[in-house]
Amino acid sequence: MNAGLSTKNAPSPIVVLPHYAIGSIAFIIASVLLFFISGDIIKTNLNPQVLSVTHIFILGWITLIIFGALYQLIPVVMEVKLYSEILAHISLVTMVTGAAMLSYSFWNTYIVGTLLLQVGGSAILISVILFIVNVVMSAIKSKQKTIENTFILTAAIWLLFTVSIGIFITINFAKHYIDKSNFDLLKIHAQIGLIGWFMMLVIGVASTLMPMFFIAHKLNKTYLKLSYFLTNGGLILLMLSLYFFDNTYILFFTGLIILSGISFFIKYNYDAYKKRLRKKLDIGMKLSVLAFTLLFSTLVFGILSLTNFDFLSDFYTKIRIAYGVSLILGFFTSLILGQMYKTLPFIVWLQKYQDKVGKFKIPMPANLYSEKVANAHYYTFISAFVLLIVAIFTELQIIAQISAVLFIITSLLYSYNTFMIIFHKENLKPLK
Amino acid sequence: MLENLSNTEQEILNVIKTVIDPEVEINIVDLGLIYNITHKETEKTIHVLATLSARGCPVGDTILNHIKVVVESNWSGYEVEVELTWEPQWTPEMITPEGKAVLNM
Repeated sequence: MNAGLSTKNAPSPIVVLPHYAIGSIAFIIASVLLFFISGDIIKTNLNPQVLSVTHIFILGWITLIIFGALYQLIPVVMEVKLYSEILAHISLVTMVTGAAMLSYSFWNTYIVGTLLLQVGGSAILISVILFIVNVVMSAIKSKQKTIENTFILTAAIWLLFTVSIGIFITINFAKHYIDKSNFDLLKIHAQIGLIGWFMMLVIGVASTLMPMFFIAHKLNKTYLKLSYFLTNGGLILLMLSLYFFDNTYILFFTGLIILSGISFFIKYNYDAYKKRLRKKLDIGMKLSVLAFTLLFSTLVFGILSLTNFDFLSDFYTKIRIAYGVSLILGFFTSLILGQMYKTLPFIVWLQKYQDKVGKFKIPMPANLYSEKVANAHYYTFISAFVLLIVAIFTELQIIAQISAVLFIITSLLYSYNTFMIIFHKENLKPLK
Repeated sequence: MLENLSNTEQEILNVIKTVIDPEVEINIVDLGLIYNITHKETEKTIHVLATLSARGCPVGDTILNHIKVVVESNWSGYEVEVELTWEPQWTPEMITPEGKAVLNM
């Protein structure tokens, strides 16, 4: 009986929980360091320290939690067991080690081919390859050939491209294998990483989870198919035009294709939101809905950054930084903050209470964390994000510093809830 | 569905109402997840036909176990089977008026 159940395929909590724990610590570290580089960000001075903090946010915070969440979600999305838990453990160790080495090297301004940087980069590459093997092998076993699964597989391929180009940049800096500036290569590296890896993965996972959590049915999947072809087609054209042409009009055109692809994804989720069963949103869904609002601001900055208007000529660098900030610290961070509340409590709840249901009075998953704390970091997060965007355009360092302090508070409150869930002690009461 | 229930089957349904969906936080009977109940006194068997609101539901197995546990604890000596079906697929129209009231639909 019971084909199609994900609970039987769920991985051991020890595979998933360390990703959430280490990810939340990385969020705190990155937020503290953000305070010290706030002056560089508002002066659009993209120095090695800024690169260091960016990589802690991207690798330590966003990537690590996405890896952990995906190990939990593969059984949900693909209806199979994760291919290998051992590979997942090794991938975690190599990612944490590699990210620490890379960020330390950047912070000490050693951009040019140091051993630490190369070993760190290679460790990240190994981690990514192991992760991709796990995703691809799980997908091969899966009988669910859905468009959502295709998004996840494609994201894994783009991730391999992203890391390979990143490592090539550090080598090319010293050896000059190709006659292309590292800044141009960095633009390709960043766009593939942000749109090809993160965005593609988010579309695949969110398009499965959001309708499930909203309990929305009868959604039109044609929007997702259109989104897939437009986003990927646009990204391939963007990559080619960045490398071969770097022409403003071509770039703007490719940007529009990607924007239309992402718009179809937003439309699909908006329909799920409109058809939702639960009208009152819990904190997890409030943060997730906020993420989609911030995705809209990201798209506006993204498109503006591809234009070439005279009246904006003094602002283009700021707009590009606002685009990156809006995507990494806005959309992705908000989505991760929210989806933690939709995944982690269930993982721990199932571990503690799966066999106790009906026999004892037990708490609900939502009782495993403090809703007051979650609501508090909802507001500190919004304030931190808005102030950082304001600081970028006004160049007022005090505003950037207040923003960083609010990010630190957000990360501490979020981590408090994360660890409260992870270390939840079984609470059983008699039924009568 | 859930028509022509005997008195015992109605009692079983009332017991299953104590099972709460952890995500939606309403009972699974009002959510419309129970399709049928068959009680056979002579064979000492109870069969519950249930569905879930989504394929891959992370707590699906727990909900089905919960049904089995509460029915077994109230009808000891019976063989209780809980069968999961995806036919017909669950839709929000299956929610009872009581469930819709709780969800403000």
